[in-house]
Amino acid sequence: MKPDINIALLNAAQEIINRFSPLIDDEYEKSRLSSWGAIILISAMKFNDSSSSLNQENADILEWLLKFTNLDEDDISEYGYEVTSEIQDISLMDTDNQILRGLLDRQMIVLEGNGDTEGLKASYTLMRAMHGRRKVSDLVGLLQQSES
Amino acid sequence: MPEELSSLFLSYYSKLIEKECILLSFERIFGGASRETYKIEVGHDVNKIERLILRVTQDSSLIETDQKTEYLAYSAYQDSSVPVPVLLDMSEDSDILGAPFMLMKELQGAAASPFTPNVYSPHEVELGEQFWSILGEIAKKEIQEDIFKSFLSELKEPCWKNELDKWAKVVHEDSIGVEPILEAGIRSLYKNPPKEPERITMVHGDYRSGNFLYLENQITGILDWEMAHLGNPLEDLAWALSPIWSWQDKERPAYLIEKEQAIEIWQNSSNINLDRKDLEWWELFAAIKGMAIWISAGNEFKSGKNIDPINLFSAWIPGDIHLEVILDFLEDRL
Repeated sequence: MKPDINIALLNAAQEIINRFSPLIDDEYEKSRLSSWGAIILISAMKFNDSSSSLNQENADILEWLLKFTNLDEDDISEYGYEVTSEIQDISLMDTDNQILRGLLDRQMIVLEGNGDTEGLKASYTLMRAMHGRRKVSDLVGLLQQSES
Repeated sequence: MPEELSSLFLSYYSKLIEKECILLSFERIFGGASRETYKIEVGHDVNKIERLILRVTQDSSLIETDQKTEYLAYSAYQDSSVPVPVLLDMSEDSDILGAPFMLMKELQGAAASPFTPNVYSPHEVELGEQFWSILGEIAKKEIQEDIFKSFLSELKEPCWKNELDKWAKVVHEDSIGVEPILEAGIRSLYKNPPKEPERITMVHGDYRSGNFLYLENQITGILDWEMAHLGNPLEDLAWALSPIWSWQDKERPAYLIEKEQAIEIWQNSSNINLDRKDLEWWELFAAIKGMAIWISAGNEFKSGKNIDPINLFSAWIPGDIHLEVILDFLEDRL
């Protein structure tokens, strides 16, 4: 099932961009359909690792919180996040992710107040890694290629 | 809607010019996500064809702005060294065409996508010189008193706080999730404010690649003034310089000419000596403002208020880029 979803999305995007969009004369509708093609293409490219990326992001934030702040696992669980080794679906992982991101933000304020450069530096490294896994802007070149 | 709108338009325009008209074409074009934009050809008399642009307020748009702002901003630069379309009419009520609108003459030229590298080749030098010089002219122009007064009610000093409060509010109202990079960027701006400008000027609000028309090596029009306001001219300069508009060639903002050359042209044209530290503040602000716009667009899409894919696209790609820009600034400042 899973590989078929990727392939189906990729093919749908190619069909929209290369086959159907050129048939439309109306400039606005053509642009709108091409944008849908681009969105489907990006979704197909990111589909495969979206779950593992979110799981890794949660693990990385937790590790940073435990290393650079005064919070321990009990404190963190009071905010609604429970460490688990069970496999979770994406929506549950996303709920956890929002809790952890909120904690990261609040703890960064504490570090900024204390002038804790080491902790802040580590937080920037963490956020760059988080951003690197999520971002889709590196697919811009691919989109331009597919449109041409 | 377009059929109904076109017939309403024909009836309205015939009354406006007091002549029987026929509609030769009425086509929606891509004119940004904040207005529905139509390219219209109207015939009247013998062989007389008028080419018009109609901008209609959307029920749900990327940036909520009123039609009058854009109209007044265009009015401020009619017959000036800043090329803008000739205005014909504006209505703030919905009785005529079902929504507020603005009507102007079509200018010759095309607008490029701001995300396409080398899109201005082989005329990037001539267009670059004009682009940065016109931006300086926008800042230099003495605005007609009645127009200046219309904008004055929105201005609270200091300008930096006025703008930062406005966009931080959008971020906090429209965010779907927590983004620590963005929050750290906002805190950094509040902690390290810039100086106030020597002179309050008109700020275009969205001066960038993609928001001007050009014909070969000539800029023929500066468009999309719906976010115009009074403020610090460095806001426009920093927004136009933002790496997002030349992501694949960051040394040449807007894919035109080198950054230092652009700044020099702007300084000469505006007669403003810029403070580099203040410009840096406005450059980080530009990324925050960008994020507010992209977040707002994502919210429109996710809530189902406006599922135009441009809204999701904005939240994804420009949103990614501006987050990375903010992170670069934060790391440099540590």
